[in-house]
Amino acid sequence: MMKSRIAFLVAMAGPLILPHAAVAHPHMIADAELRVQLTPDGQSIAALHHTWRFDDVSSSMFLVDLDANGDLTLDETELIEAGKIMLDSMAMYNYFQLVTIDGKDTPMNPPKAIGVTYENNLLSVDFEASPKEPLRLAGKVDIGVYDPTFYVALDFLDDEQLQVENLPPACRKTVIRPDPDEAIAQNQQSLTDAFMNDPAGNDMGKIFATRLELNCQTNG
Amino acid sequence: MNKTLVRIIFTLLAVTCLVSQNAVSAHAQSSIGIGTNDAIVPSSGWLGALMQWVNAHQQTFYRSLTGALKAMREDGAKLWLLIGLSFAYGVFHAAGPGHGKAVISSYMLANEVALRRGVMLSFVSAFLQAVTAIVLMAAVFLILRGTSIRMTDAAWFLEIASYAAITAFGAWLLWQKLAQHVTSLTAGKAAHSLSAASTFTCEQTDGSKASEICAACGHSHAPDPAMLSGERFDWRSAWTAIVAVGIRPCSGALIVLTFAFLNGLWAGGILSVLAMALGTGITVAVLATLAVSAKNWAVAYAGGGRAGNAIQASIEIGGALMVLLLGLLLLTASLSA
Repeated sequence: MMKSRIAFLVAMAGPLILPHAAVAHPHMIADAELRVQLTPDGQSIAALHHTWRFDDVSSSMFLVDLDANGDLTLDETELIEAGKIMLDSMAMYNYFQLVTIDGKDTPMNPPKAIGVTYENNLLSVDFEASPKEPLRLAGKVDIGVYDPTFYVALDFLDDEQLQVENLPPACRKTVIRPDPDEAIAQNQQSLTDAFMNDPAGNDMGKIFATRLELNCQTNG
Repeated sequence: MNKTLVRIIFTLLAVTCLVSQNAVSAHAQSSIGIGTNDAIVPSSGWLGALMQWVNAHQQTFYRSLTGALKAMREDGAKLWLLIGLSFAYGVFHAAGPGHGKAVISSYMLANEVALRRGVMLSFVSAFLQAVTAIVLMAAVFLILRGTSIRMTDAAWFLEIASYAAITAFGAWLLWQKLAQHVTSLTAGKAAHSLSAASTFTCEQTDGSKASEICAACGHSHAPDPAMLSGERFDWRSAWTAIVAVGIRPCSGALIVLTFAFLNGLWAGGILSVLAMALGTGITVAVLATLAVSAKNWAVAYAGGGRAGNAIQASIEIGGALMVLLLGLLLLTASLSA
């Protein structure tokens, strides 16, 4: 599903322009976990495993929306339906993943399914996605998990929530949590350049999102 | 006069096209498919980066709101905290799209509505949004739950109805304004032909006041007082604007109501949403007032006479055009989601 870009025509009066600069806020909040699975030889990334635990306000949205039989819980059928809805909706947002190698976007395969559980009035989501091409651990690999529309706020509570299994010694792992004020300041030049050259450019969210960075020495 | 009017309109369109190059993605459905999203988020360029920054700072506020909601479940006295935060939420969140600013402001611009009435329109439409949210959630809890009709779909339906109504309203308003101003233009022409024998041309702006008649051509150059009259306030068209805006419930209100109703906090949820409406009404009223003041300033600056008429006409037509285009944008975005 192509992201449709619709030209937004703005009113002539100054005060009317400002409000249309959308003040978006999250409507759902979830604690997130990322587990990076490597290939058996430890040289490439095989898959990204995601787990998102929604809070009770967000979970109640799911319940009221999808409780087709009105029993105040989500049973097997309803959970499968929830998974299908999310699988379909998140496709155009790459399942909230931004994976780059040395700054270049790496395409990911869509997950086969999205697993949903509902316990103690809390909803959890988990799924795995693998890269289209083998993603070798060489150079700088960045993995960001966030919703570019701001609808869902995904929080990695601490750095331990971003894990790589059996990371080879040649690689160093860091978790980057950009400070919004610093991020704007540091990227001032590139943002200005981007605006001048290509106002309809790429998603700037990658500057602000929490991400896992793997710096690996390339073998000679 | 004709040329000036045309030039002004084209300038306005050019400006809006320029601004629109900062491409915007409109998503009526949420990114995960559950719930609706008010936001039209520019994800690219300079404006996109600004929005990201704003969002990062906004999350805290939204968490306080949901925190207060949860706290009220344990301790009923926390209701006041919730109401206060809801009010603040209404004020700030209304700066984003979906709360009637464009429609009400354009309506006021296009109809010379007295500021007092414009403020009232702002509040009525905001409260109608609150009522719609409450009625929708009541319907979901009492009727729709236990059926296969999803709350998200019901909200989406109202959204489409609202955007269709806004589009229709904009088209009707534009038609009216064009008819009104074109009529006055052709009337002007007729007067010229009558005085064709005279060497004085009515193209000259003489800054005459309403009470003065231009000596050469025999008619007043000042803005037609009938157009300025607040007495022409048309309730039918005002209600059309109010209802078009009001039948789309605010997504934040839906979230609060969902959680509140699920936990049996009926009064708390309703009061919270009404507090949001109050805040929203204030923001819409302020912004609409600014828009009308800007117009009045522009017309006054033009010094009355022909330029004043031209500016007034172009702002009114522009306002109507904007409502129509906004309606179309929102409608197509909502339908394609």
